Amino acid sequence: MSRFFHGGGSDSETSSSDEEELYSDHEAGGDEEHSESESSSGEEDASGDEDSSSEEESKRKGANRFFKNFSESEESGDEDRQTVVKSAKDKRLEELEGTIKLIENAEKINDWAVISAEFDKLNRQIVKVAHSGPAPRIYVKAIADLEDFLNETIAKQKVSIKKMNANNAKGLNAVKQRIKKNNKDYAIEIEKYRADKVEYMEGDEEEEVEVKVERPRVRIDPLEAMSIADDEGFSTVGRHGKALQYTPESILKHLRLIVESRGKKNTDRLEQIRTMEKLLEVAQNPYQRIRVYLTVIATRFDLTSSSSSNHISPEQWKFAEREFSALLSVLEDNRGYVVAEGADEWEDDEKQPQPVPGEVLRIPGSVVSFVERLDDELTRSLQHIDPHTAEYIERLSDEQALYNNIVRTMLYVEGLGNTDKSEPRQDSINRVVMRRLEHVYFKPSQVVTILEDAVWKAIPSKMDSSITPRGNSVDVPALVQILCNYLFKYSDGIIRARAMLCQIYFLALHDNYYRARDLMLMSHLSESISNFDVSTQILFNRTLVQIGLCAFRAGLIYEAQNTLSEICGSGRQKELLAQGIILQRYSTVSPEQEKLERQRQLPFHMHINLELLECIYLTSSMFLEVPLMAQTSSTPEMKRRIISKTFRRMLDYNERQVFTGPPENTRDGVIMSAKFLATGDWKKATELLNSIKIWELMVQPDKIKQMLAEQIQEEGLRTYLFTYAPFYDTLSIATLSTMFELPEKNIAAIVSRMISHEELAAALDQVNDAIVFRKGVELSRLQSQIVTLADKSMSLLEANEKTLEQRTQGMANAFQRDQVPGGRGGRGQGRGGQTRGGPRLPGGQQRRPGGQQFGGGALGGAIKA
Amino acid sequence: MVDKMPPSAETLLKGAAAHPPKTVEEIAKEYDLLPKLIPYLDRHLVFPLLEFVSGQDDENLEIIRAKYELLKHTNMTDYVANLWQDIHNSDSIPDEFVKKREEVLAKLQQYQEESAKITELLQDDDVVGNLRSDKVANLKFLEEQHHVTVDMVNTLFEYGRFQYSCGSYGNAAELLYQFRVLSTDNDKVSSATWGKFASEILTTSWDAAMEEVQKVKDSIETRLFNNPRAQLQHRTWLIHWSLFPFFNHDPARDVLTDLFFSPAYINTIQTSCPWTLRYLAAAVITNRSRAHKNTSLYQKQLKDLIRVVRQEGYEYSDPITDFVKALYVNFDFQEAQKKLSEAEEVLRSDFFLVSTADAFVESARHLISESYCKIHQRIDIKYVQKLTSILRSIKY
Repeated sequence: MSRFFHGGGSDSETSSSDEEELYSDHEAGGDEEHSESESSSGEEDASGDEDSSSEEESKRKGANRFFKNFSESEESGDEDRQTVVKSAKDKRLEELEGTIKLIENAEKINDWAVISAEFDKLNRQIVKVAHSGPAPRIYVKAIADLEDFLNETIAKQKVSIKKMNANNAKGLNAVKQRIKKNNKDYAIEIEKYRADKVEYMEGDEEEEVEVKVERPRVRIDPLEAMSIADDEGFSTVGRHGKALQYTPESILKHLRLIVESRGKKNTDRLEQIRTMEKLLEVAQNPYQRIRVYLTVIATRFDLTSSSSSNHISPEQWKFAEREFSALLSVLEDNRGYVVAEGADEWEDDEKQPQPVPGEVLRIPGSVVSFVERLDDELTRSLQHIDPHTAEYIERLSDEQALYNNIVRTMLYVEGLGNTDKSEPRQDSINRVVMRRLEHVYFKPSQVVTILEDAVWKAIPSKMDSSITPRGNSVDVPALVQILCNYLFKYSDGIIRARAMLCQIYFLALHDNYYRARDLMLMSHLSESISNFDVSTQILFNRTLVQIGLCAFRAGLIYEAQNTLSEICGSGRQKELLAQGIILQRYSTVSPEQEKLERQRQLPFHMHINLELLECIYLTSSMFLEVPLMAQTSSTPEMKRRIISKTFRRMLDYNERQVFTGPPENTRDGVIMSAKFLATGDWKKATELLNSIKIWELMVQPDKIKQMLAEQIQEEGLRTYLFTYAPFYDTLSIATLSTMFELPEKNIAAIVSRMISHEELAAALDQVNDAIVFRKGVELSRLQSQIVTLADKSMSLLEANEKTLEQRTQGMANAFQRDQVPGGRGGRGQGRGGQTRGGPRLPGGQQRRPGGQQFGGGALGGAIKA
Repeated sequence: MVDKMPPSAETLLKGAAAHPPKTVEEIAKEYDLLPKLIPYLDRHLVFPLLEFVSGQDDENLEIIRAKYELLKHTNMTDYVANLWQDIHNSDSIPDEFVKKREEVLAKLQQYQEESAKITELLQDDDVVGNLRSDKVANLKFLEEQHHVTVDMVNTLFEYGRFQYSCGSYGNAAELLYQFRVLSTDNDKVSSATWGKFASEILTTSWDAAMEEVQKVKDSIETRLFNNPRAQLQHRTWLIHWSLFPFFNHDPARDVLTDLFFSPAYINTIQTSCPWTLRYLAAAVITNRSRAHKNTSLYQKQLKDLIRVVRQEGYEYSDPITDFVKALYVNFDFQEAQKKLSEAEEVLRSDFFLVSTADAFVESARHLISESYCKIHQRIDIKYVQKLTSILRSIKY
């Protein structure tokens, strides 16, 4: 390297033989390119033949080609390496000139088909030429002229009536579209050219010479290589040399260079980052450091766009995180500097702004965006790591650092908010508070306490928050409450909705069923949720599920089933909770949609256990379905109501099997248990249900199991009574009590309830402590069939009438002319109503089973809506 | 019009109500709703409640103090001065009261003069005869013919408020009525409606009060249409205020029960004031004896009540709701019986319910035996007798 450097310092003629190779390689490359362009021009000829006017050009082109080839071979033979270098470049320039000439010629005869083709070629060539330096001036001239001509032509076109031929018009349009896009990149150059055409072209020569001289050095120092994209910066470096490169004064210039190269091709971001790390070392005052930090963090985030993976590597993330916290501490120590969105850029690179005491210097940038980006990147990388590896856990441990930064940012932004109460300021506070909340809401209190403690240790003791004071961190529910209340008060729209959902989720997670439910109902989110973005909808689903789980833990089976049914009954839990993608065989999902879907997935540590969810859903469905099935089987005229289709389907599947082995998974366990429950064998049912391993994952498995056992006893009793009532005349309560191991009082209460709700045709005999079943109240087979018949004929009649109505709609007086069908229909309806009412009266079984009549109905209804 | 109680008085009362409930007598204390009701009532409306409490207990200094705190901010200076004397056991009246009294009188005089013209006009039959239902036209007419300005109309409002504050509710009601006829200022009109409502309650003219209930209800629905929170708050107030006619005016009961069971109001009760369920439950149960003509309606109300009581069980319970729960949710008749006796105590110590206590117990016993007989085929009469204590006459 040092040799190169040395060589770079002296005349470029003394370059070593290595270089020679390099150049000859280059030359070969140039040859290839040339031949490529040759063949393409050949094609051009072929296509151009049909147009008579283009023949002339094609000849010329041929001559051009010959000439070029000739000169090249001559050059390569005679001249030394340096001229070879020149020739390689010159050759391209020549080519370029040739093309430009063609364009100019075509312009004269207004042949847009040729212009279009040549313009494309020109652009292909210019990429190669501009690869190693700025765009040649002739090119700039050409495209500027072309644009002018284009505009002129279009203007003419509008006036003249004569139409262009199709080929020409096509070419014109193609050029029109492309030139606009293309010229944007060279806007500055074109401006310069237009300002003073002559001078611009003269300056061209000098520039070229300079570029040639500097080139060898460019190769030597990769640091400089990146700065080549901008010729201004290039010359600066060239003049000062490397020793002077990183001075406090030049920091701003370097930064400008880097910022300007952002988004361009072929910029080596890692190099830029290295440069900036060096700049950081020399940075003296806070202003410089803040500027450098802002740029370096942004550049690190840019790394993703170039690399193939779509999340930044953990190392880079850690660097960014460290730099971000450094930035924060600089900002915290220097209150005179404020990083604000929408601040004015400091234009003068030579001079640095001097902070006036008492006044605040604004630097453009956004701390909140950075912390959001950090957060997003962590999530993204967690999405890509296999959750069952140590790597995932390791990566997850970075969350603490991230959380520290979030809280710190919050404190900082909040501090700014106190001094300045503007709209965007409030917005950024809301955003960062929301981020904090999103890191807290799905975690149990204990975990959050650890997180919070670590945060306050990490934050300098002089910092404190007015929203969440330092001492309060122990009380996690209060913290969540405070954060949410803050957002309720100051934010609106999506952030407020999300805050609400987070709070509800947190409450449900901590077993505050009623509060969670009430808030959910009061928020009225279930009505408007479809208007929100997908991630909020996912959060809504998660919250809903969490409420359901909470209800189950509290023993509120009906509520749990009702709440969960929408999510779990759909069979798309994974999708709805963003916990995995279902690959459908015949899906019409485009790759983009799938990619989006993948981006939405939650990282594993936020998942709700789907197996447990399914188990809970099936169990609660079992408690509701089994007694209902028993009831409907004894009174067939009752409408077959289905509470959970999923459960029914599984039960059917299980029954269809010829041999049923012992349950192998959670689902089997619940279904088997349900079968035992249906036969009245509650002990076996309990045993099976409690042997399901997944209950151990819940917070207090013993309590859950006990609750389940109690439920089974009660529902078992109800099922038993429904199923076997027809076979008993009387049934002693004491017998039932021994059968179901429930106190007599409870049994009496359950039976009373069933009698009172008219689910059971019976009465209690207090003297003998027995249940006396009334016979003959339930419908006989014949009667129930009559009822069915009546129902069916009713619906037939209705359908008939509807059809008639549709048919006669066209003829307005169909009814008037022919009164008979309508009249008959009306009469039939009356009769149908009577027959329907008749047999139902004694049984009065139109009422719904009591258990489902009360309680939680409001929630169920609201959530369903 | 609706003032919040000063916090000092509230805490005072809470302190008074929070005695440890040991004896049977204390059950009533435990379920005393006064502290919960007060924030939703006007201070003038709180006064009868305090009076009732003081009438029940012996002259309790704490209650007098509470009354003093309550009325300190009103213009009923004489009475406040008396209270002060009671508290401090002195015969002399401090200067501040004398001064205030004079101020009040002066103000009264001033208002009287200011509004003299317009009141006179409104008493004139010719003028009143020319008024139409269109307020704007009326105002224009008065302005053209009699030089009545908007300010004068507003004086009516101020004067009415002042009268109310002084405790002369009849005058206040009259003034506010006049104001309401003329004014086009919607906010003030609704204030005036509340004020008139309170005045009618305090003068115990229940029919007029019921009219105001309807007006307030309408204004809540129309005026606060797009402000659900204010709607909720106003409905809560309305529910509390209408407790006065609810139990003191027989014809009001059906109307108000229907009102309370309407979806908007039952939601309000569930959301912000579940304790009013007690009154609703008591009303429904006592309605039993009167609603024979319309049993299906009664059954529906009962069913609604059971549903709400069950749903709110986690948030509020007292012996009355417990009774409903025991009887209709758990079918535990002994428990129901026990709760009934507790409920009786509570009823007797509740300002609103004291008059209906007997009817309630009677109806409750009916309900117990009714549902007992419904479920049982053979009954041990002695057991039932024990259960219902008195009702021997019940036969299967």
